[in-house]
Amino acid sequence: MRYFQLYVCFFSARLKAMMEYRVDFLIGALSILFIQTTSILFVKIVFDHIHTLQGWTFHEVLFIYGIAATGRAIHQFFFENLWVLGSAYIRTGNFDRILLRPIPPLFHLIADRIQPDGIGQLIIGVIVLGIAIPELSMPWGGLETLILALLILSSGLIFIAVNLFFATFSFWMVDSFPIMSTTYQLSSFTNYPLTIYNKGLRFVLTWIIPYGFTSFYPAAVFVDQGGYHTVGYLTPAVAILCCMIAYFFWKRGLRSFASTGH
Amino acid sequence: MQKYWKLLLSQVKLDTAYSLRFWAGSITSVIRLVMLYAFWQAVYENRTTIVDISLEQMLTYSVLAVLLSSYIAGAGTQLAAGVLNGDVAIELMRPYDYINKLISLDLGSKLTSIIRETLPMLVVALLFIGIHAPHSWEHALLFLFSTLTGILIGAQIDLVVGLLSFWTINISGLRILRASFLLFFSGTLVPITLFPQWLQIVCTYMPFPSMVFVPVSIYTGQIQGADIYPAIGLQLFWLLVCWMVSRLFWLLAKRRITIFGG
Amino acid sequence: MIEVRGLSKHYRIAKRKQGLLGAIQGLFIRKYTSKKAVDDISFTIASGEVVGYIGSNGAGKSTTIKMLSGILTPTSGDVLVNGIVPYRERQKNAKKIGAVFGQRTQLMWDLAPRESYDLLKHIYQIPEAIYQKNLHEMTEKLQLHSLLDIPVRQLSLGQKMRCEFVAAFLHDPAVVYLDEPTIGLDVAAKSRIRSFIKQMNEEKGTTIILTTHDMQDIEELCRRIIIIDNGQILYDGDLHAVKNSFLHEHVISFELDEEKEEILIPGELEGLVTYIPEEGNSNKLTLSFHPETISAAQVIAAVLHHYRVRDVSIAEPKIESIVQEIYERGA
Repeated sequence: MRYFQLYVCFFSARLKAMMEYRVDFLIGALSILFIQTTSILFVKIVFDHIHTLQGWTFHEVLFIYGIAATGRAIHQFFFENLWVLGSAYIRTGNFDRILLRPIPPLFHLIADRIQPDGIGQLIIGVIVLGIAIPELSMPWGGLETLILALLILSSGLIFIAVNLFFATFSFWMVDSFPIMSTTYQLSSFTNYPLTIYNKGLRFVLTWIIPYGFTSFYPAAVFVDQGGYHTVGYLTPAVAILCCMIAYFFWKRGLRSFASTGH
Repeated sequence: MQKYWKLLLSQVKLDTAYSLRFWAGSITSVIRLVMLYAFWQAVYENRTTIVDISLEQMLTYSVLAVLLSSYIAGAGTQLAAGVLNGDVAIELMRPYDYINKLISLDLGSKLTSIIRETLPMLVVALLFIGIHAPHSWEHALLFLFSTLTGILIGAQIDLVVGLLSFWTINISGLRILRASFLLFFSGTLVPITLFPQWLQIVCTYMPFPSMVFVPVSIYTGQIQGADIYPAIGLQLFWLLVCWMVSRLFWLLAKRRITIFGG
Repeated sequence: MIEVRGLSKHYRIAKRKQGLLGAIQGLFIRKYTSKKAVDDISFTIASGEVVGYIGSNGAGKSTTIKMLSGILTPTSGDVLVNGIVPYRERQKNAKKIGAVFGQRTQLMWDLAPRESYDLLKHIYQIPEAIYQKNLHEMTEKLQLHSLLDIPVRQLSLGQKMRCEFVAAFLHDPAVVYLDEPTIGLDVAAKSRIRSFIKQMNEEKGTTIILTTHDMQDIEELCRRIIIIDNGQILYDGDLHAVKNSFLHEHVISFELDEEKEEILIPGELEGLVTYIPEEGNSNKLTLSFHPETISAAQVIAAVLHHYRVRDVSIAEPKIESIVQEIYERGA
């Protein structure tokens, strides 16, 4: 509870700071909107010519896309600071500052920044889902919305856990941004149904870097094309497991940082 | 000339100084390729051509387009950084032309990205994807010329965006916007011939297709015969326009420095 | 209050080769060397002491401070601050310490200092009444009232630094670490900050550890100094004792009218003064001497006799030269 209140304090301070740069905020949100629009337009253009992608309709692919986009938005809005752990905290020595505070370092790092671009991402995600869901030829009600919300939250947690895990490498190598961005690149696979990829890729995206659980498996709970319905329900468990592993690793990183320093 | 060569080398050293960033760049490019391959394979599952483009042609197009797209950025980032930290005013007093210096540094970056991105991607593409040879010898030569023109257009546009930092603070948002704009309208994601009719018409009034779509289509033979020379002529026209715009912006910017002190 | 016994910290450092070939080689192989940043040091600091912790760059100052504040785990040895082992209970320790690290800020750049203080109130769980009282007193002492509502980015370096001190002392810490707190400030700002430190020490009994290159900071604030070099303590004791044996050296700098390949000490001064080489200046002649052996007037007269002099300045000896001298004497 104390940390929730503290987060609110951080949050309001950040919000005030953001309002100092209103134009930047607009440019940021706009550019995200534009990027997302063009990549959806890309999917649309391809579907105009093929109608189905290995049995998946345009709206089903859009549904998968929407879940990924919304899950990403959660990560982007609240946990964006993980990206700069190396460059803005460890390289500059500012991480020492965080360690001098009587609150958990991870909490401090996360609370230090909110990324307004996440709002653009969220808007796009919700719009995409809004377009896709009515076309899914299935009944949709309150329960479905609730389940979807839970799955999207889990999706966001997986994005967070993966990024936290790879950001932690910064404690040993000063800045692990290249590893983070390379791994993050893998998440672009999950904008489409996993069934279009070969076994090797599917294995990686399910068991190694479980980005499959950020969009495809949750979507399979509603749109089942190949028997992944039950797997989809595992999403929250996968999310929690990932967070635990990532957090454990983070703790190890902190210990190592305390013995080497930079 | 000697000093610009030294500057170029210094940039190569800088780019290779962090080995991790170097290798991560290679891996990221390979992941992009795998993504491309899987996606187009799935798209072509039940058909041999889309708008007269075969799978082999499409893969060749996509690989080359992605390769080329990493060269159409330019010195704009460095220029913007120079403006924001006030180095521009000092640089103007140095015994070289600032824009030429930036271009030398940028060429150094491009030299490293040949090793870092282009070579690994080409190897993977040749071994696992199979890209076809140019349409003919004539096409191959014209492709090289057209590619060079495309890269030069990209460099000019990048400078213009960089120069905007004289008037706005948030250049990173603009850069993201520029990148996503280019990715889509240059035809990197998908050949412009697949666009809906109205969007194709819009594209003819923009310099972006000249940067990627035109050179790559000349290679694959999507543009051939009597269509080639007008396409290259249009490229040269856009190059002239972009060059004039960037010089105009530079003059305005220089006047701003001398009047307002940066 | 602070007990340090047999404290050591060793680092591993990557070697990098020169040139383009070396850069490419570095992509594949790295070699490491070991460095003893802090090597078996011991000292005790009592509650309410103000101690100057001195040494040249890379001597091991900041490594020590990091171990005292819990950021770094020592390779060997013991540290006890307020009865806490800092690196084992970092957060508990953090609640009772404050810090000002010269160039690094803990204020939020885009917001007014008041916003940062308010956030610190929540971070350190300072009771509202104490927060208000402390904020009021400290802004009074540092004369900050007019600055509290201006975004930090618009403040001058001196103003920012004053605001930084409030942030460090706001939660009534028992120990405060100050790393180059007056670097780059003008004389007025320096003296205001010094008197603030003195007041906090006297009124609240705050223990203060100060690292600085500024001799005047030390002279005005510290009764005791610890000098560290190459990770080892060279001197630990009364400031006056050091001053009597070293600081009474006077230093005079001459700026000559022309550049010289080699600047020679005038013959009549031979053996009476010490030549201090200055890097990069071929027209500067800097001499140090004991006022008991020769008077400043004699030195100046002798130099003027041999050279055409543009400017003369009488300088404070630098910390580095004192450290160097102690080192050479094997103190």
